[in-house]
Parts: sequence; structure tokens; C-alpha cells
Amino acid sequence: MSTAIDATTTPAEVVAEGPGSGQDRARRGESLTGWAFAAPFAVLFVLFLVVPAIYGLYLSFTGETLTGSGGELLGFANYAEALTDPDMWKSLGNTLWFTVLSTVPLVLLSLAFALLVNLGLPGRWLWRLSFFLPYLLASTVVVMFWSWMYNPKLGLINGVLGEFGIAPVAWLQDPNVAMISVVVTTLWWTIGFNFLLYLAALQNIPEQQFEAAAIDGAGKWRQLFSIVIPQLAPTTALIVTLQILASLKVFDQIYMLTNGGPAGATRSIVQYIYESGFTGYRFGFSSAISYLFFAIIVLVSLAQYKLINRRNAA
Amino acid sequence: MTSLDRHISRRRLLSGAAALAGGGMLFGCAPGASRSTSNLDYWHLMTGGDGIVMAGLVDAVSAANLGFHATQTVLAWGPPYYTKLAMASAGGRAPDVAIMHASRIAGYAPGGLLEPWDLDLLAEVGLKESDFPPLVWQKGMYDGKLYSIALDTHPFVLYYNTEHATKAGVTDALQTMKSPEQFTEVATKMQEVTGKHGVSYGYLGDGSQMWRLFYTFYRQLGAEMKLVPGQKAQVDEDAAVKALSFVQSLLDDKIASRSGDGGTATSEFLHGESGLFFGGVWELPVLKDAKMPVDARPIPTLFGTDAAYADSHTFVLPRQSKASPERRKHVYQLVAEILKRSVKWAGAGHIPAYQPVVRSPEYQELKPQSNYAGIPAYVNYDPDVWFGGAGSDFHKYFAENVQNVYLGSGDPAAGFEGFVKRLNVLLDRPQPV
Repeated sequence: MSTAIDATTTPAEVVAEGPGSGQDRARRGESLTGWAFAAPFAVLFVLFLVVPAIYGLYLSFTGETLTGSGGELLGFANYAEALTDPDMWKSLGNTLWFTVLSTVPLVLLSLAFALLVNLGLPGRWLWRLSFFLPYLLASTVVVMFWSWMYNPKLGLINGVLGEFGIAPVAWLQDPNVAMISVVVTTLWWTIGFNFLLYLAALQNIPEQQFEAAAIDGAGKWRQLFSIVIPQLAPTTALIVTLQILASLKVFDQIYMLTNGGPAGATRSIVQYIYESGFTGYRFGFSSAISYLFFAIIVLVSLAQYKLINRRNAA
Repeated sequence: MTSLDRHISRRRLLSGAAALAGGGMLFGCAPGASRSTSNLDYWHLMTGGDGIVMAGLVDAVSAANLGFHATQTVLAWGPPYYTKLAMASAGGRAPDVAIMHASRIAGYAPGGLLEPWDLDLLAEVGLKESDFPPLVWQKGMYDGKLYSIALDTHPFVLYYNTEHATKAGVTDALQTMKSPEQFTEVATKMQEVTGKHGVSYGYLGDGSQMWRLFYTFYRQLGAEMKLVPGQKAQVDEDAAVKALSFVQSLLDDKIASRSGDGGTATSEFLHGESGLFFGGVWELPVLKDAKMPVDARPIPTLFGTDAAYADSHTFVLPRQSKASPERRKHVYQLVAEILKRSVKWAGAGHIPAYQPVVRSPEYQELKPQSNYAGIPAYVNYDPDVWFGGAGSDFHKYFAENVQNVYLGSGDPAAGFEGFVKRLNVLLDRPQPV
């Protein structure tokens, strides 16, 4: 939904681990306890994720609507319609464009901020706080701030620009800049999480490596490129993965800032799914789009997995 | 939908579980479970000033010892309300009575989400067709049955600052203008007085606002818009281009701001920085509270035919799987009692639909409300189609194609063509209701 990142672990992985051999009965008892602990999650997981996902797949082959009519099987008609629907392609394009525009600065800037804070400047806690604080805000609050700042007539941003004689910009109403505005808001809001991951990783780099490098005569920049960035590689891989997935499912800030406008310039695919289903009443069609989108997410995840694995192997 | 809950975190799932537990409690008091016949569930979407007036009316009726009382549930305006109402009706667990915009009936009645009103029962509580303006009553008819009873008509009107009008010497012209040129002249004179803008009109990012003014002028040009699923949209392109060009000509950053949104436009007019204001009648309470010298009139007929965009808040009976005749009787009484007290509702700017109230001296004394009380005689609702109506995607698609025309960068013909193309795509799709 938001581009905030959710860390997910499957309890099954935790449960599946156990001693390799012997003490069978004890192990069985242990694993029963494990399952008991996992059961509440498992029940909800099945009830709210597995079942709806399967039901959604079924719906995507029907003409099901909100009123309960049209439940007959249609085969691939919904998929065919979705693939020839210019609005579907446009919102998919918007989503990919948003992902590119947001992921690059969210990774690079968070690294830059983490490096700056890690320099040990005075007032370090204040820097850390101000980079991280926005992340704690609810999307509604963030949108409130920014939609006022972006207001073309009364907004802070145009007010400041006006002082320098720059003509007002319709930040959220001009199709050419609306997406940039959404990205800037997202950046301000969610950079804190990546920043925190980077900062933690930076503080985990052993001090001796820097000492050794310094003795060998490496300057700060050499240390950055030869020690810091390689040491951060696993963190970077994690952040990039999570960020791409989070950006792909962008919805709330766009829904509230621009409602997908102007002229559909910021409508994301998730919003299009929502509109087709909940205001357009066509559950079947909307499920079909969501499955097409799901396929794309799976492909992206697989590609990344391959890429990271190959890098690790090399 | 599925992809929304696909990436669910454990924390989110746990909060889902909490919601489930809470939901269980909600179901306990939802319609269907141990309901008495004397407590009616009433859903509506009125908040702010409207909400306060409506709550007062509901309380007054409940206090009248008629053997029932109503509990109102107020939901957020627009798509959230209509989605919830449709879902509740589809599940048969709907409230006893609900408010719906007249423009939404076309999307609800065909799918069996609403139940028709019984004319005999209405007569029993003293409501009959002749108590309502013909066009307003007719809007509630679908397939020969009455699906909604109007509480009001709320048109898009023209407000003006009487002090500025006097200074600009346009007091008479305001009442007599009959052409776009005359309107532009009045607006220009107003601009000379205020030194800022002549007209305030907030539309930016708000498709409904864009549509309301456009549709008023489009209908004044004698044009119609018919949307029949399975057919191409029947529109009058020349009229549309004329209407759009006129709006565009006003939004020149002199007569009116090229990029005014709702908040900016209202505050501009309130602070005397413009003399005219295109707005819905629901804006009236804010303007009156500001104690400014304001008056209102219908949007003048500039293109020959009397026409005004409006919508109506109406009472509907959402489909219930088990409806008790006893409760239904109370619902009819509730509606009749609210209508008979609707002069209070007129205080919020709306024109009551119930004619005995409109004819009452109490209403006739309300100014400026009674200035525009004649609008229901020639009112124009949104075209009937399942994806149309208040707060619908229809308005949104209008904005998507026409906003750049209003902003001055788009060509009126191309903008309208884009909108019609979008309509044709929707008309071509299977109708979900």
C-alpha cells in the first residue's frame, strides 16, 4: 500500500528448524508446541491471505460484480479486456515510472544521509531524528502537510518561489509535475527507514578495517569505495528489493494527494484495481488486473533474486 | 482486492485479527440481530453544517412520540459512502432508509439494490406526486416505479457581492444579463472594482466542480447528453466546445483565476477579492457566517435555454432480505416528518423538494434562498448511467480530459473528444448493475 516497508517472516521457517537426530519424542513435543504458537498466525494467514487469493483468482475468470450479479465463468475475457485497456497500461506505466523515480533517490539519498550522520557531526541525534521522524507519521498526516504546501495559490512552496520571482507551479494539478510532487512527498516520508538500515549497517563495519586501511595510506574517499560500499552490499540488496516492492504497490499518498489525477497522470495500478472493483463494481475485472500485476511482481522478485544470487556466487 | 492484501505483514494481520474481534461486536448490533421495530437505521453522508441540520431534524422527529426513533449513521461523502451502501444492499443487511443523490439512482435501481416506494403507503403519510416539482419527482422514477423521494434540490448558482455590484454599477445588469458577452462585461466591471478578480470559481482537482459549470452552459445551449450502455454516447460536440470555450475565456487570470481550487475560490470571494462566485447552494452557510454583503441568483441564462445543473438528496429504501412491514411503516412516517420540517434544511441553502414548505411564508422570507427557488422547474440532473452521478468516476473522467482546457493549455474540442472517448469505453463494457 504505502511505500513503507514491511518485514515479513514466515513462522513455518522458524518452526521447521529442529535438531537433526535423536530424542524423537522430545522433538515431537517441541514441534507440537511450535505449531501451537504458529497456529493463530496460520489460521489468519489462511483465512485472510490464502483463501482470498485463491478466491480472487477464481473471480478473475468470472463477471462477478458488487451486486452479486454476473457470477458466470467468462474464461479469459477479463484478462483479454485488461490487456487491451489503455487505462490499465497507463496506470501500470505510472506505477513503473513511480518505482524508478522513487527507488533511485530513496536508496542513494538514504545512503548519503547515513554517511553524513555517521561522520559524527555535532548534534548527531538531531540529524538522526529529523531524517527518521517523518517515517513515523501516518500517510494522512503527511498528505495534509504536503497538499497545503503544494497549494498553487496559498502554498508555502509557491510562496517561497514567488519571493524569487518564480511563477507559481500547479504542483499537483499539472500533469507534467504531479508525479514528481508525489515522489518528493514519498521521499520525505519514507526515507527514514532505509536511512536507519544503512546507519545500522555502517556502525557494524569493524573499526579495524578502517585502521588497517589508514595504515596502508588509504584516504577517506578510498575507504568509502573500498570498504564502506562493499561492506554495505548486502544491505543495499535488501533495501533495493524492499523498496522496489514497496514502490510498486504505491496507493495511499497518491489516492489522497491527487486521486490519480490530473488526467490520470498519477493513477497507480493499485488504484485502478480499487476503482474497477469498488467504485466501478466489477470485481471480476478488477481481480484479473490484480493477477496480472501479481505476475509482474513475481517476475521482478525472481529477477532480483537471480541477480543477487549471481553476484553472491561471483 | 487480492493484491491489496497480498503483501500483508504479521503486524497488519494481527491488527486484522483485532478488527475481526471488533467486527464481531459490530455484527451484533447490525441490522438483522434482535432489532426492535421502533428503532430505525438511517444512513446518510451529510457532514459539516448539513450534518448538524440533519441531526436536528432526526432528533426532532424522534422526539415527536410517533412510536419510533431513528439512529443516524453518518459516512464519508462520495465513493466510500456509495460503495458501503451498495455492499450493504447486495448483502441484504442494509439500513432501513438512506440518503442517495438522485443522480445515483440510475446506478442502483437496475441492479435490484433498491426497493420501490409504495405510493399508497406514501399517500397514507400525506405525500403525493403533486407535492413535488415534476422534474424532481420524475428523477426518482425507474421502470415505472418510484425509487427515491427527494428531500431537496441543490443547484449550482451564482453568488455576488452586493457592495461591489453597487460600486461597479452592475446591480441591474446582474439581473438582466442574457448573453456570454454581457456576463463577461459584468465580470470585467467587478474586476475593476476589486482590483483582483471579477469571478471566483474553484475547480482545480475537482471534477464535480468542472462538470457543474460546464453542464449548466451545455444545457443552456439546448444540448443533451444521452448515455445508453452498448451504444455510443449521444452528445452535442459543438455545444460542448462553445461551453468549454466560454469557461476557458473566463479563466484568464484576470476575470477569474486560472488555477483556483475550492478553498482558494471561497476565501477569495469571502475577502472581497472578487465580486462573483460560482458555487453550489451548500456553500451558503459559510458565506452567511462571514457576514458579508452577499446575494445569490440562478446562473443567468446566457445561451438561450433555461438550464441549471443540480442534484437532489433523496430518500431510498436499500434492499433488505427481511423487511418488516411495521418498520417500513415507520420509515414512511420518518420521511414524511422530515420533509414537513424541511424549511430547516433550507437554512443550509438547499431548495426543499416538498412544495408546501416552499410555498410557506417562512421559506419565502429566507433570503437569498428564495431567489433561486424557481430552479427545480428547469433543473438538469446528470445523464442517467450506471457510472454517473455525484462523486462518481464520471466526474473524475471529465476532469481528466477537461482540466487542461480550463487551465488554458488544452484545446476544448480535443478535451471533450477525450471525455467522449472515455465514455464510449465505459458504455461498451458489461454493465455491472
